[in-house]
Amino acid sequence: MSILSIILIIVAAVFFPGIIGMMKSLVVGRKMPSIFQPLFDVIRLFKKGSIYSTTTSFVFRLAPLVYFATVFASMLFLPIAGERGLLTFDNDLVFFAYMLALGKFFMIIAAMDTGSGFEGMGANREALYSMLVEPAFFITMGSLALFTGYTSFYDLFTSVQINTDFSYIIGISGVYVLIFIAMVENSRLPVDDPRTHLELTMVHEVMVLDYSGFDLGLIHITSWIKFSIYTTLISNFLLPVDWPLGFQIACFFLIQAVVAGVMGLLESFRARNKLDKNPQWILMLSAIAIVTFLATLIIAEKIVLN
Amino acid sequence: MLGIFFIGAIVISLLIFLVNRRGLTTVLSYVFLASEMGISIYAALNINTVDTRYYSFDALGVLFMMVLAILSIATFYHSRLYLIRHSFTRRQESIYYAALIMLIAAMTSAYFAENIALMWVSIEATTLFVSVLIIHERTKEAIEASWKYLFISSVGVALAFMGILFLSIVATKGGLSDLSLRNLLTIAQEMDTNWLKIAFLLVITGFSAKMGLFPLHTVAVDAHTVAPPPISAFISTTLMNVGFIGIFRVFTIIAQTEVLQWAQHVLLIAGILSIAMSAIQLLRIRHFKRMFAFSSLEHMGLVAIGLAIGGMGYYAAILQIVFHSFAKSSLFYQIGQVHSIYKSYWVKDIGKYFKVNPAGGFALLFAFISITAMPPSGLFISELILIKAMFAGGYAVIAIIILLLLTVVIFVFGKHLFSLLYGETDSTVNVSKIKLNPYETISQYVLLGLVVYLGVAPPAYFTDLVHQAIAILN
Amino acid sequence: MDYILIILYAVSLVYFAVAERMSKFVVILSMQGFILFGVVFFSLNEIEIFDFVFILTETILVKAMLIPWFMNRVRKHNQLKRVHEPYIPVFYSIIIVILSLGASFLLSNNLQNAQLHTKFFTVALASVMFGIYFIVVHRNIFSHVVGYLIIENGIFLFSLAVGSQMPLMVNLAVLLDVVMGVLVLGIFINRIGDTFHSVEIKNLSELKD
Repeated sequence: MSILSIILIIVAAVFFPGIIGMMKSLVVGRKMPSIFQPLFDVIRLFKKGSIYSTTTSFVFRLAPLVYFATVFASMLFLPIAGERGLLTFDNDLVFFAYMLALGKFFMIIAAMDTGSGFEGMGANREALYSMLVEPAFFITMGSLALFTGYTSFYDLFTSVQINTDFSYIIGISGVYVLIFIAMVENSRLPVDDPRTHLELTMVHEVMVLDYSGFDLGLIHITSWIKFSIYTTLISNFLLPVDWPLGFQIACFFLIQAVVAGVMGLLESFRARNKLDKNPQWILMLSAIAIVTFLATLIIAEKIVLN
Repeated sequence: MLGIFFIGAIVISLLIFLVNRRGLTTVLSYVFLASEMGISIYAALNINTVDTRYYSFDALGVLFMMVLAILSIATFYHSRLYLIRHSFTRRQESIYYAALIMLIAAMTSAYFAENIALMWVSIEATTLFVSVLIIHERTKEAIEASWKYLFISSVGVALAFMGILFLSIVATKGGLSDLSLRNLLTIAQEMDTNWLKIAFLLVITGFSAKMGLFPLHTVAVDAHTVAPPPISAFISTTLMNVGFIGIFRVFTIIAQTEVLQWAQHVLLIAGILSIAMSAIQLLRIRHFKRMFAFSSLEHMGLVAIGLAIGGMGYYAAILQIVFHSFAKSSLFYQIGQVHSIYKSYWVKDIGKYFKVNPAGGFALLFAFISITAMPPSGLFISELILIKAMFAGGYAVIAIIILLLLTVVIFVFGKHLFSLLYGETDSTVNVSKIKLNPYETISQYVLLGLVVYLGVAPPAYFTDLVHQAIAILN
Repeated sequence: MDYILIILYAVSLVYFAVAERMSKFVVILSMQGFILFGVVFFSLNEIEIFDFVFILTETILVKAMLIPWFMNRVRKHNQLKRVHEPYIPVFYSIIIVILSLGASFLLSNNLQNAQLHTKFFTVALASVMFGIYFIVVHRNIFSHVVGYLIIENGIFLFSLAVGSQMPLMVNLAVLLDVVMGVLVLGIFINRIGDTFHSVEIKNLSELKD
């Protein structure tokens, strides 16, 4: 059933930020909040009204809706547990990436629409980081596509065979790169600190500084779904297709929880990078992705070495 | 035989280093010098035989070994004078002698090595021991020059090793890689030309730090400036011969193949650039030892051009390198004496040397005539043969450019040396208090006399040896 | 198995481009030593047992432990912390290391030579090129020695690529080069650090005409 994947992703998305918050307070030694706390926050936001600044135009009001819509649409492509997503066609991974980019684009121009200097700065940085991380995503997915010969998510993940010891390299580095891409795209540490309240050092938070009420709730939900999407990709890398369905679903949730826990740990222990070191940190991801690509070229025997 | 020599050298130098007594050092140095003469005579008698499995006494090696033996005697003598005049601790003196003995042993190994990898190992060893010697005076400039020399030389020699590895790629037959020269010469025809070209480029770049050719010549110049004068004399002659032998061995392999033309063009470019660099930079120099170091650069450029021309050029190159060794070393020995009187190497500090030390002044004058290749110096003969070969080979334009550049060199040399000998200076050294020993200059007269003798009326043995050395190239 | 190690070696080169602390340099060098040990262990099964054991011990002892330990001592003696801003920002260094890796992989794809193990040739060439770039870009002599060691690792890989029967001579050569070179270089760094109280190369520009 293809509707299964949507349900699973949404369910995981709901719990994801709760686990991160619980992990962070566990490490610090505070009393843990409930796992549904972020959900309660969003429901509270939905009940409130929105205030719009007089310098904004229709773009500002449109952006959260487009953001949510694009992320939701991208979610429809992901296969889970050997079941295909709701939509699938050839080369849909390119479509996926650019749908996400479309949503981000609207957020960026909405941020610039407010006319505030801070948000322009944040939008600037956000655009740069997305641009630098895009090669990493495409090259990782591309090496997988080269390895299996398919280009749509469903075909890709159902036919990948990680059995020879060399292809472990692709699996491991793919997961490694995807985790870091998830961190960059969702604006977590060490690229961006979601707790900072100094506008000069914000990247993503400053773009959503002026939203309130329903729009803000929508943006929060969207970021959870984005997180869940990336973790779904990771679990697709890790789980073989031929396991029984119930077992795969259980492992899926387990992987989501583990990734959320790891994010929480990382956020508690790491400081944010110096801002001018961020571009080189992100470029390093692309570099590792390119090395993986070279490894795939060797496996796929496009490069013949004796 | 050579094995015994090397073990003896290691033992002697360890003894000198560990037991810090002057008397023992002197005795052991004499023993070493005697053994060195013994080895060179033995090698001359057993030419073209194989010794200790990886060495062979070929003609070029014997020639350079004789030069080394003669210069070692002079260097040891002048080192003793130098160490006595400047007060060094006994520890520093023993380090000096120990490193010098190991350096000579490593150079002997490099001259005679038949296996290219072993030759490379010896050349690397010489780099290490030379750095110990260069840093002897412990001044800031000495540390700086020594560091640069050690580092860039190591990187260069590592690149040369890469070149040798590429050679061994094409030298592998039946899975067995044999890097001895015999083997490489026989299978030279079958080697892939691209690998050969890259290997040759890497070897030239790597060994140019030792030989003093463009591109890595700068560290050699710096090193010769700050080393103690007897060491400068030694390394700017015999060590450059080591670099030359490294490039020469690979060149003989290339000479059997069709890459020869291309290799000669590369050498021609390197030679011309060396001479040009030397001429341009000499115009600014005000420091005597640096001036002599650049002049070595220029002579090595001429040697490279000699290799590039071919035919008579080969003969001229070998002659040039042998005569240059003798002439340049006498210059350095004499400037050491000048320094002991005036305590400085800068042009502005030294003057009226002829009055102070007529014997030394005359030696300097004679050496000036030798090094700038005026007759009756042997260098005149070798450069004449070289220019003739260039005109005959169709390189007339290049010959004219080189002659113009050499004119610049002679001009600068003359200007500064004559200001040293006759010029006015406001140096405040009270020269009447210096005790001079005119017998010190005998070594330089002997060396310069050798240059004249071997150039004008060479004994048959010498010409035979040179012809044998280049026989493989024809 | 050796393909995995080669890819790991390439990743270590990328980390060299990214790293900015001297202690990290030493750690990555040690990692490279272990990777080379693994490479030798898994691929050199055609040579005599004495040579094999010799190369193995040399790699694990000298490259992976002795030299990083010695470099660490030098680093502590001179109290070196971070690399001051190199001439070219790290951002472009990453691009250059990737370009050199890509170029050497492409080049070895086009080489046809039965004697050459091209799988080692790739990272060897990239290592040498990157080592030279490293020396040129960094401004202090400790980094220069690290660059020299990267070049040496590359040359070691070259000798693996070339020889199916590795002559003892070649290996002695590399061993002598590395040990003697690094020992003497390390002593020199200490001397320079003591005399000049800094390891930047702008202090080493006194020698002029």
